[in-house]
Amino acid sequence: MNMIQELKKRKRLQILLLFFFVTGLTIWSAIGTNFSFYEVFSGFGLISNFVFLDLLPPDIAASGTLLEAILETLYMGFVGMVVGALIALVLSFLAASTTTPHPVVQVIVRAFTSIMRNIPGLIWALILVASYGIGVTVGTLSLILGSVGFLTRVFADTLEEIDTGKIEALHATGSSYFQILAQGVFPQFFPGFIAWSLYNLELNIRASTIIGMVGGGGIGFAIQKGIKLFQYKEVSMAIVLVLILILSTEFLTSKIRERII
Amino acid sequence: MNPILQVENLKKVYSDGTVALNNINFEVHPGEFIVVIGPSGAGKSTLLRCINRLVEPTSGDVVFKGKKINKIGARQVKQVRREIGMVFQNFNLIDRLSVVNNVLHGRLGYTGTIKGALGLFSKKDIAEAEEILERVGLSKQKYKRADELSGGQMQRVGISRALAQRPRLILADEPIASLDPASSKIIMDHIFTICKEDKITAIVNLHQVDVAMKYATRIIGIKSGEVIFDGQPSHLTKNIIDEIYSNAKQPLVNAQ
Repeated sequence: MNMIQELKKRKRLQILLLFFFVTGLTIWSAIGTNFSFYEVFSGFGLISNFVFLDLLPPDIAASGTLLEAILETLYMGFVGMVVGALIALVLSFLAASTTTPHPVVQVIVRAFTSIMRNIPGLIWALILVASYGIGVTVGTLSLILGSVGFLTRVFADTLEEIDTGKIEALHATGSSYFQILAQGVFPQFFPGFIAWSLYNLELNIRASTIIGMVGGGGIGFAIQKGIKLFQYKEVSMAIVLVLILILSTEFLTSKIRERII
Repeated sequence: MNPILQVENLKKVYSDGTVALNNINFEVHPGEFIVVIGPSGAGKSTLLRCINRLVEPTSGDVVFKGKKINKIGARQVKQVRREIGMVFQNFNLIDRLSVVNNVLHGRLGYTGTIKGALGLFSKKDIAEAEEILERVGLSKQKYKRADELSGGQMQRVGISRALAQRPRLILADEPIASLDPASSKIIMDHIFTICKEDKITAIVNLHQVDVAMKYATRIIGIKSGEVIFDGQPSHLTKNIIDEIYSNAKQPLVNAQ
């Protein structure tokens, strides 16, 4: 009985401490960023002015030229995924503890792809623009780099989760390393390979909009251009197209996932 | 007749210091159907895996068909493994592949690396795999995906995969531990009759003593990594069984 009360008391103290900690942290960061509710509310008027007078209605006549840009975005996302997935497929077999030929290789590949993954696509694009100039090439390349980083990690994790008993069974038949990879590991890995690649496609299409804004081409570049030229009705049309593109890829990829897995 | 397998002074100590096997000695002659009994953790699985070198023995010798196989290179190990079929408690089939493809995995050791990796098996191998499936009563299931089968059917595929190797020796590690009694009987009957008909020697790990008594031509009792009984089933007395399983029962729930 005493112990339970003691525990309850301690738990209460913990919750109280946590509450003060979180509150303190919030106040501290609000002061640090000069956050005030007054400012937030006073901005509402300007926002609605901007949205209703400048952005809306979307300029449907512009959709013809924007369509080309949106196709470029789709193309960048798709190529980034396909090329990224193929490179990541090879790298992930080196990076997973279950399939790597040597632990040193595993560490090197993991470190290398971790760098690729942790530098945001935006930064890759800024670096690449300096050498390739503005355009779709930059967007595609930075998406490939990001995809390789992300997919190698998730592919390797998927490979590490496969059932080692099944691999042992193939070893017991006298199979060779490549036979075991192809006949034992790959069939178990395949659903994860497809699901993660499709998810990567969604991420790429979202990212390619942002990357486009810093010079990667596609719809992002068109939006950026529109903002600079105060063509807000064109910008809102582009945003609508981006939404349609993202929602339809999400819908399509989930349908494909269902079919395959 | 020369023994097909000799195990001499076999010892296995795992890297965490656990002594799984200690001073194991026995000979296996062609045609024997040996059942290894013993409590969980006694070292039965390690023993089987030391025979086909899925586990590297710490010391001692394993002699298969007159050849020491504990000191040979990786390439030769693969050749030895081709002649030793293995059946597992969890079947270990590749779920997403067809039943016949799983059986054909038994032929990988005999197929070239690239052909094997791509699953291009010879017509002869495919015909033989289908024959084996017919033998275990799974002809109708041959194109189904392995994960569509019941547990008992999966284990029959597991046996078929081992048979596709045309093995001299079959190692079965608790082949019926995940099955219901009816399927267990079917599986044990299949293993027993096939080994007899094809003159395959078998070493089967079991924890059910009654099943062991029914099929074995010889029983080996293992406790804490050591052989404490080796003889005909008729010599396995109640006292010895109690000895093998004594102190082995851990309470499922620790009373506080």
